[in-house]
Amino acid sequence: MRRKLRIFILFFFMAGMASGVYAQEISGTVTDESGSPLPGVNIFLRGTTQGTQTGLNGEYRLEASPSDTLEFSFLGLKTVVTPVGTNTTLDVQMAEDATQLQEIVVVGYGSQKKSDLTGSVASIEGDEIARQPVASLDNALQGRAAGALVSSPSGTPGAGISIQIRGSTSLTASSEPLYVIDGIPMISEDLSDLFTGGQRTNSIADINPTDIASIEILKDASATAIYGSRGANGVVIITTKRGKVGAPKVDINSYYGLQRVTNTVDMLSSREQLLLMDEAAQQDNRALGTDYPENYVSDLWGYDPDDPELQNTDWYGEIFRTAPIQSHDISVSGGNERTQYFTSLAYFDQEGTQLGTGFERFSARVNLDSKINDWLDVGTTISVNRTNQDRTINDNSLYGVVINTLAGDPLMPVREDDGSYADPFSYFGWWMLDNPLLIANEYERATKTTRGLGTVFAEATLFEGLTFRHSTSIDYTSLTDEAYTPIISRESSNASANGLGVYGATEDFTWLTENYFSYSRVLGEKHNINAVLGASYQASNRNFVSIDAQQFPSDQFTKLDAAAEVTAASTEGTQWGLASYYFRTNYGFDDRYLITLTGRADGSSRFGDNNRFGFFPSGSVAWRVSEEAFFPSGPTLSDLKLRASYGITGNQDGIGNFASRGLFGVGNYRAGATLIPSQLSNSNLSWESTSQFNVGLDLALFENRLTLTTDYFIKNTEDLLLDRIIPGISGFSDVIDNIGEIENRGLELALNGVILTGELNWTSSFNISFIRNEIKRLVVNDQVISDSHILSEGHPIGTFFLIDQDGVDPQTGDMLWDDLDDDGNINSGDRQIVGNVQPDFFGGFNNSFSYKGLDLTFLFQFSVGNEIFNHSRAHYENLGWSRIGTGFPLPDGNNHVLARDRWQEPGDVTDIPRASLENGNWREYSSRWIEDASFLRLKNINLGYNFPDALTSRLRLSNLRVYVQGQNLLTFTNYTGADPEVSQNARDPRVAGEDFGTLPQTRSLSVGVNIGL
Amino acid sequence: MKSLYILLFAGLLVFSCDVLEPEPQQSLDASTALADAGSAEGILSGAYSLMQDPEYYGLEYILNNDLLADNAVFEGFFDSQLELDQLAVPITNLWIEEVWPDIYVVISTANLLITGVGEIDDPALDKDAVLGEAHAIRALGYFDLLRYFGEHYDTSSEFGLPLILEPIPNNDFNQIPDLPRSTVAEVYDQIISDLDVAISLLDGSDDTGTMNYWAALSLRARVNLYRGAYAEAFADADSVIARGPFVLEPDLNDVFSTTEASAESIFEVEFNEQDQSDYNTFLFRRDEYNVDTTLLNSFEEGDVRATFFTNSRGRDRTTKYSDNTNANNAKIFRLAELYLIRSEAAVFASGDPNAGTTDLNVVRNRAGLEGLDAISTTEDYVDALLYERRAELNFEGHRFFDLVRLGRAEEVLGLEPFRRIMPIPRNELQVSDALAQNPNYPTN
Repeated sequence: MRRKLRIFILFFFMAGMASGVYAQEISGTVTDESGSPLPGVNIFLRGTTQGTQTGLNGEYRLEASPSDTLEFSFLGLKTVVTPVGTNTTLDVQMAEDATQLQEIVVVGYGSQKKSDLTGSVASIEGDEIARQPVASLDNALQGRAAGALVSSPSGTPGAGISIQIRGSTSLTASSEPLYVIDGIPMISEDLSDLFTGGQRTNSIADINPTDIASIEILKDASATAIYGSRGANGVVIITTKRGKVGAPKVDINSYYGLQRVTNTVDMLSSREQLLLMDEAAQQDNRALGTDYPENYVSDLWGYDPDDPELQNTDWYGEIFRTAPIQSHDISVSGGNERTQYFTSLAYFDQEGTQLGTGFERFSARVNLDSKINDWLDVGTTISVNRTNQDRTINDNSLYGVVINTLAGDPLMPVREDDGSYADPFSYFGWWMLDNPLLIANEYERATKTTRGLGTVFAEATLFEGLTFRHSTSIDYTSLTDEAYTPIISRESSNASANGLGVYGATEDFTWLTENYFSYSRVLGEKHNINAVLGASYQASNRNFVSIDAQQFPSDQFTKLDAAAEVTAASTEGTQWGLASYYFRTNYGFDDRYLITLTGRADGSSRFGDNNRFGFFPSGSVAWRVSEEAFFPSGPTLSDLKLRASYGITGNQDGIGNFASRGLFGVGNYRAGATLIPSQLSNSNLSWESTSQFNVGLDLALFENRLTLTTDYFIKNTEDLLLDRIIPGISGFSDVIDNIGEIENRGLELALNGVILTGELNWTSSFNISFIRNEIKRLVVNDQVISDSHILSEGHPIGTFFLIDQDGVDPQTGDMLWDDLDDDGNINSGDRQIVGNVQPDFFGGFNNSFSYKGLDLTFLFQFSVGNEIFNHSRAHYENLGWSRIGTGFPLPDGNNHVLARDRWQEPGDVTDIPRASLENGNWREYSSRWIEDASFLRLKNINLGYNFPDALTSRLRLSNLRVYVQGQNLLTFTNYTGADPEVSQNARDPRVAGEDFGTLPQTRSLSVGVNIGL
Repeated sequence: MKSLYILLFAGLLVFSCDVLEPEPQQSLDASTALADAGSAEGILSGAYSLMQDPEYYGLEYILNNDLLADNAVFEGFFDSQLELDQLAVPITNLWIEEVWPDIYVVISTANLLITGVGEIDDPALDKDAVLGEAHAIRALGYFDLLRYFGEHYDTSSEFGLPLILEPIPNNDFNQIPDLPRSTVAEVYDQIISDLDVAISLLDGSDDTGTMNYWAALSLRARVNLYRGAYAEAFADADSVIARGPFVLEPDLNDVFSTTEASAESIFEVEFNEQDQSDYNTFLFRRDEYNVDTTLLNSFEEGDVRATFFTNSRGRDRTTKYSDNTNANNAKIFRLAELYLIRSEAAVFASGDPNAGTTDLNVVRNRAGLEGLDAISTTEDYVDALLYERRAELNFEGHRFFDLVRLGRAEEVLGLEPFRRIMPIPRNELQVSDALAQNPNYPTN
């Protein structure tokens, strides 16, 4: 490191000598159409990154030679280009621009004008993210970018979100994109070790969404290849706000709202349930010749269905609540020509709609930019965040809250008369293992994260057009998990544990150093060259601690100190490293022909000895047809660009840090350590390789008021990282290997329009994506990977493999099962492919209106053709059968209101079979529970009022806006479960689309205020 | 000056390439794992860690046997156990898929020691002890596989097992051999020859937490009984009973209501609360292995063994694994079984139905029952033997094998004959051209 430092200092020493080549000083004032001075306008020497910004009074000053051309740009205004010539004063007036074509887009290791892009990049403005009432920024991306399928698999506050950019590219490795925040590829996986069922924590939720200036989603290989072995799933680039030249600007944002679940699950009343059980016995009498008496079950249980005093507990109503959500943040930004700053402090608090859950975040940020002299800029980007997440067990786990609410017995009260929690084993539901209110209220599951992300950078101008940038970054997370399972719980009493406590801690320290040259030059007026060349080293070190203990004196003590017996304790550690070298060159000829070449060589510690380094190249071309002389440029057809790209990117996430090696691990026998073989070696192990071909078209019509961006891509992933089945005589069932091939091909379309301008403004954007995912090749075809899912050639990832049915026989009311193997038994040997989770198409439709001080925006999100395996129905659509034989009727519990449509007499045509005390019509893993989960959702609607200047200036405010906002207010779907977006295994695309005790999303209504001082 | 920058940049490129060479902190590279006395002993103990696996002696190998038979009944949740209880095991059954490699990994550990220990130059290493135990472990593994997956009841059958006797070269998965199944006789021969080596090398060892000399002898007795070599089975069982340091516990509570080895333990896979099995979890907290009422109803009046049951959460449960920290050991060999082996071997070696009555009575008397009257036919003897084995060894993983090898499975369980053994798992067939499926099971 010391040697590095010396090189660095030497470097800038040399660089200082290179400065001072400019010829003359230019100054001037920039104003808007009304003549008011414009602070913060970016002024560049065209074709370089050299430039300055205007000050408070709109004035600027910079050095340029007569042959230079100045480019004045400001978000939302038309860029002005002026040759310097012999002028020493250049005053400029800038007009409003209805389009986004002149936007600057952040790409890997730099930024580009949108019009110069040759790759496929979607941009989302920070404002669209910041004001949504959601915990994390990835959640706010839903429906906003073509090609990005963002799903919220659960309403758990702070839970992981699944983002797939242009389809699932991987089976065992991750299909989640790489997140890069202010240049740091950040740790984005779940670091919590706490068992809470299928929902993970989300380390993206450590970032305060209101700090975000913009998000770019890099989609095609041309855009992502500069991230090499991590680019195959797309890259999400997050840029936080930075200070601009001007007087201090204080922004205060605040909202408060109330949330409910998007949908409640409606169950039968206890009267209806008793009648169903009695009917089940009578149906069996008719179909099977049994001789149960009238009212068999209700008499046996000792209830009268017509008793008006009958207990009737609404279990879903009991575990859900109306919960507040609030966010408050303040930021101060500003600066002079030498130093600009942005600093913010934010608090976010979301109580969960389910008892026992919640998420809270404190965050602080300082972003500083300082111009040391005319050749050296330095800056820092630092944020510190603390999140506290209250969790409960959920999804497919024995003691989950929602899972124990499934089929909750309405005859059972929440509490007995003495105030104690009612015990489900004293009532008549088999499924409930413990009282879900007890689990929600008395269990403790808390994850607390402290995260610091910091970068220090310096950028030196070596000579005209050439800069060198160095940055060193740290991404540090310290996470603690604490759990306590109370003495009064079944889980504890069944194990005679007297309370179970868990303490876990994870510490991750990742450092990164980036060094790169940027070169930018216009040669001979028409040749525009940009280049980046650099090296990057990143390494991560992670340590875990976990301690399990039991035997607590009482439920008042939950810290392990009080536990009499420690049952397990361990510490673990792991690490990885990445060494990378990268370049990019852009060449533009006369603004008509654009070429980009990109490459990155990545060396990864995870790869096998024979494949330590991988090279990931890409190339792209674009033709701005509208710049051609022959093009009939005019007000109708204002811009047309054709793009094509091809490249190769990799994916190395999700492989263990030491997956390529043959290993012996440590076991335990008779309180002594033992050595046991833990994996076979694979010295050829390497990255997944995705080649992507993309063609695109950017079209602007009516003076750029209507823009269309469309892309067609074929994305082929080879060398898939996959557990390869190997002969068990080796002692192992699988080894991780690069096998298999997946293809994603798709069409994306994004349409943006400025429909009305003037007093009434209306802008609208629509995006839609059609993506087809197919497994092309597996070494072993037809791999059954869970009770419900299979990997099969010719089918997409997330294909359901279940026992199939042909509906209900109208004569008997019995299910018609397909005995595939004709062995007379219906069991797992009869499973077959019955559907998949992939949507036919998905997208979003966003509209903004403004009229005088009023503004209204609303966003619809849709997905069509995706199916869900609604596993919950297997339990709340039991129709009366008992697991413990016919000795005593003990069904799973209550039935969903769907059971009202059950078959009752010959001739009834329905999907729901007859009630029965037997299980012939019930198979847990069957297509009876497959449903179409297409939906259209009003994701967000926001109505605001901006107080007029006259009032705000009297209050000494620069702006004041109040608004009311709704999230997930309307959902149109035929899905019968709680929410059509749920998935119990949130981040594993192979087994996606299963709803089993998953918490539905939240619907909220909030009021907020934005104040600018 | 530009060239200077290029030089400086090149300097940066070489900096910190060591990020690519982290070493694992919780594992050893497999090629160097077996190096000295300490590592050989660690790997040997590792074989027992592997036997503790929940699919093997940690739970399922034992209890799935009772589930297939009429001792246990499925009232729980997992389809894998349902399919066993239904006696309709598909080739995709989860447990058969898992237990196959889980037993072969024990065998591969033994293979590594058997081929590698000879080359270790470390005076602290007792090579005979390690080699003897490794041979006994390999024999146990192959016999346990053969009982579920091979036609163990027919020594002329070609449906034995693939015999792999060497480690995989370089631990490289590309070098796994594609082996066909050896015949049942060949597998038995391999098991017996391993046991002969083990018994010759292990002489005198009696640590009941390991495959000691007596355990190897007991295994050879059991294997010979299964393959119908009754005189050999008698001799080995007799040797354990007569010469071994074991006695029957007068009080059965001292056998079952303890987390320690009892005076009649010959070999137990040990568990403790830091290193738990899954027995108590599955028998008390779950409902996959509740007690079949036919077992409860089968006990003779006064049989003390009928008291090792309880009813909790409305279901009948065995109390043989009642320690709630899952610290009860898995009893692989205990002296009572050796009496039953000697009894059975005596009857079938001689053809005299009364030749084994004394030994049956030893077990009966301990359970508070009177001795048996004279038995008139071998069939009657088998009834008496099966009663005794069921009463004594229920929930210890014997009943299904007993019914199969004594020819009673079809009659007692209503079993289709080809289902006396499990199918070869589908995923094994998918990756091997040489491996043949058992008769009448689907191949895909």
